[in-house]
Amino acid sequence: MSLHRATEGSRREFEALALPHLDGLYGAALRLTKNPRDAEDLVQDAVLRAFRFFDKFERGTNIKAWLYKILTNAFINRYRRTSKERNIVEDERDSVQDRLVSRDAADVAENPERAFFERLLSDDVLRAIDAVPIDFRLTVILADLQDFSYKEIADILDVPVGTVMSRLFRGRRLLQKQLAEYATASGVLHAGREDVSIRNPSIDLDDWKRRRGIS
Amino acid sequence: MTQDAPHTTTFDCSDLDRLLEPYLDGEFEEDDRATIETHLSACAPCRDGAATAMAFRSALRARLREAFAPGTPQATAPDSLRRRISAALDAEEARPAAWWRRLISPLPVAALAACVAGVLVVFAGHRATDPLVEEAVRKHARDLPLELTTASIAPELIPSMLASKLDFNPKPPAFRGDGVKLMGARLAQIRDWPAAYMRYETPRGPLGLFIIEDPQRRVAEEGHRVSAGPATIWVMNMRGYNVAVWRSNEIVYSLVSDLDEADLVRLVETAQSAER
Repeated sequence: MSLHRATEGSRREFEALALPHLDGLYGAALRLTKNPRDAEDLVQDAVLRAFRFFDKFERGTNIKAWLYKILTNAFINRYRRTSKERNIVEDERDSVQDRLVSRDAADVAENPERAFFERLLSDDVLRAIDAVPIDFRLTVILADLQDFSYKEIADILDVPVGTVMSRLFRGRRLLQKQLAEYATASGVLHAGREDVSIRNPSIDLDDWKRRRGIS
Repeated sequence: MTQDAPHTTTFDCSDLDRLLEPYLDGEFEEDDRATIETHLSACAPCRDGAATAMAFRSALRARLREAFAPGTPQATAPDSLRRRISAALDAEEARPAAWWRRLISPLPVAALAACVAGVLVVFAGHRATDPLVEEAVRKHARDLPLELTTASIAPELIPSMLASKLDFNPKPPAFRGDGVKLMGARLAQIRDWPAAYMRYETPRGPLGLFIIEDPQRRVAEEGHRVSAGPATIWVMNMRGYNVAVWRSNEIVYSLVSDLDEADLVRLVETAQSAER
């Protein structure tokens, strides 16, 4: 029970500030939970929490980031714990994922990939996003769908900016790989192409930062 | 992002590889952009890589914008959700007022009855955090179809039919009065625990009762503590439902209801007194 009872005025203010983001919150929730029912539950839960803590919201700061932080926390607290999705321990998976991910600057002259990007369908992109592990999916959604800056994403997810960078890096690469697989399966892209492009031996951000002495 | 600034003289292609995404995302200040652009202008493979990354980023964002265009189902909060939120905010606003009314108005009959029955209800408005309770409320709200209904099976047979599928005996409490009628039951799962779920009808809406076995006492004791005869009942609010949780040896009951706290406690009390 909140002792700071929301007054009528704050209800109106809350609705004026929060409800314009409802569509966006629902869209993000749908990609996180992957079904409309859980997405509705999640958004309702997040909005109600936001209302309860509205007195804690610092007026004039970024309401959108604040709402997404609450949504993300609600998701992590409730749905993720019960879901079968594995928590990503990045350090353990980095090297494996990097080896799986196709990315090479020197390889891309006359690049058919670039042409295939232009032929992507939004359904393919949604399907690919849903297939990406949750930590990466969440980061990609916040960056590429909701247009948050790295700093905002770091605040929303309570992780360092470096982690946002590496998750976004890998998230996009995983998406690219997933989409290339769809394209290969449908004959748009020739099979075997990826093997050629996996060449860069070290694309580990943390390693680079260690070398540069950046914490 | 200045802490990741690429201004060392050792800047090479592998550095660019790492910094390309934040560069394309506009995360760097002028100086650092210039460092990267200098490298790009001198290095054809990196330039080509940057073009590919940029093409992917643009295509990804464009397709996402399309998929989430205003009016698409992906990007439109359903009316049902808007209504639910509005109702939840109404309820949230009404809650403290209801409190206040209780303090100044004569005790409601149900609360009075509860006191007579030896139940002391502390109105402290506790919101539940126990994930088990959360899950019970969610399952109840989903209104899952009943596997055994009293329309086709005698109510007294239902517990033993459930017991044959569970490792424990889900003995239901004997609620008295209030027009409480068992509608049916099903097997359920609360997190990783097998549970029996029983649904009751009352004049004031359905009740969902989850029965689980908890010998290790994993269910948290939280909420208002209410002493009802020999039993301790924990009452809490979760997403608009009032939930009563109580234990009988190794069996834990969670009753999810639309009843107000006093009525809920009184109902649980009827089952406690029946057991004595």
